[in-house]
Amino acid sequence: MRAIILALLIAGSAQARGVVSLNLCTDQFLLALAPERIAALSFLARDTTLSVFAEAAKAHPWVRADAEAVLALEPDLVLAANWGAQATLAALERHGSQVVRSDLPQSFTAIRAETTRLGQVLGVEARAADLLTRMDRTLAMVARRSPVGAVLLQPRGYTGQAGSLTDAMMQAAGLRNLAAGMRMSLEQLARQPPALLVMADAPAYPSLATDFLRHPVLAGIKTMRLPPALLVCGGPWTADAVAMLAL
Amino acid sequence: MKKQRATRAMIKGLAALLLALVVAGLLLGAGGFGWPAREILVELRLPRTLLAGLIGAGLGLSGAVLQGGLRNPLADPGLLGIGGGAALGGMLAFYWGVSAAFAPALPIGGLLGAGLACFALFTLAGRAPSGPALILAGVAISALAAALLTLALTLAPNPFALAEITFWLMGGLQDRSLSHLALAAPPILLGGAILLRLGPGLDALSLGEDVAQSLGQPVGHTLRWAAVGTALVVGGGTAVAGSVGFVGLVVPHLLRPWLGERPSGLLLASVLAGATLLLGADLLTRAAPMLLPLSQEPPLGVLTALLGAPFLIRIARTVAP
Repeated sequence: MRAIILALLIAGSAQARGVVSLNLCTDQFLLALAPERIAALSFLARDTTLSVFAEAAKAHPWVRADAEAVLALEPDLVLAANWGAQATLAALERHGSQVVRSDLPQSFTAIRAETTRLGQVLGVEARAADLLTRMDRTLAMVARRSPVGAVLLQPRGYTGQAGSLTDAMMQAAGLRNLAAGMRMSLEQLARQPPALLVMADAPAYPSLATDFLRHPVLAGIKTMRLPPALLVCGGPWTADAVAMLAL
Repeated sequence: MKKQRATRAMIKGLAALLLALVVAGLLLGAGGFGWPAREILVELRLPRTLLAGLIGAGLGLSGAVLQGGLRNPLADPGLLGIGGGAALGGMLAFYWGVSAAFAPALPIGGLLGAGLACFALFTLAGRAPSGPALILAGVAISALAAALLTLALTLAPNPFALAEITFWLMGGLQDRSLSHLALAAPPILLGGAILLRLGPGLDALSLGEDVAQSLGQPVGHTLRWAAVGTALVVGGGTAVAGSVGFVGLVVPHLLRPWLGERPSGLLLASVLAGATLLLGADLLTRAAPMLLPLSQEPPLGVLTALLGAPFLIRIARTVAP
């Protein structure tokens, strides 16, 4: 009896044969490039604080990074990052699944390369090119100006490191990344306030780390708040964050 | 008469020392030593300094009351799990968004947790517990509170929560604001007022339960108010500063050689000594990253434990049979 149910379950999911993504960032690439081929995404893809396409992701099934669960979906392609869940990926490869690992892009050059590559992998080159054209159009609309000194402040006072995605976003928006990876204290920020503070909206539930961003001593500094999901993964959508920062 | 003069001198000396530390607290911060801009002073250093003083005062006073009321030199709100219960209550209100919707939920959660721990302690250890019985009950409550705290933090909806366990277990006053002061001050002041009035009851208790009863100081009454006052003081403080141990243990022991054994004579001095001790410890945590190669401040409870643990060993040796 149990074997029949299992067979039915597997047969049922086999109809959804397609691409499984096990990483939040590849989830978003897959949603942007080839939503019709999605067999399953990671659970995080539906979280509005982490994922740019959270609403769209809710229309698709999700799967844990667990080899058995993924194999039951019989995907013809598995997308993942090249860190995390490596044991699962190795098991999938042993069972003959094709696994493509993505080097999560941290600059616009890398975003262009990765979007093109994943477009080829998924067989949607034209759509990838289209997304990049739109991204470059958004970036080109950002007005040139003399750089404004800004601090991108993260929970607990950490800041965007040089060479990181947030650093690339700030540069593209004409902001000078003042802290560049230094950890800032509230006193430092109050004593030498930057022309602009950039923060992601804190998650829905409080923590001491995110309360740091709401301390009243920062109230006097001009602050811009970005949707947190835009800071998590680099992709064609990163241009939207740049457009917001450049305002 | 002589003791009274010693008490008065001690109180004057402690008040002067406390005042000096308050000034130092306003002058010292992560930005360096010196008079800061108004908003740094008002929004960061003032609330931090006043919170350290208030919470230390509450812990010192509750330590003196618990040691008198339980007639046990090992009593301390941190050691007995009252601080752990308070941290659990405040933490639940904080991470589940209750205090974000209704700010006073934070100290209310703290004092409910502290109250529950007090109740469990008095039930487990009895009215006049022996040293071992009291400490065992306290260890059990502390361990349970720490375990539940860890469990709750792993289940908390915010992904940063688990990293913040050191704050709840070891305390800290970094980046607290005036709103934290406004939340913690009322329960601490109310609890402190309750505890300061218990002097005669505690003195009578030190003569034994029957004598206390005959002096018109019912034991149950005194202990109940001691528990209520402690829950208010520890609950309010722990909800905004985490669980800081050993202040309540150390303070009365430091004062007794000068002021004598009478519980009522210790209360006011314990307020000042507790404030002085915790503010001094907080100043050391502020100075530590400037003096040592540390990337961040050590938790406040680390410093009080460094001071308090050897003290506890010494006391345990002297009271051991």
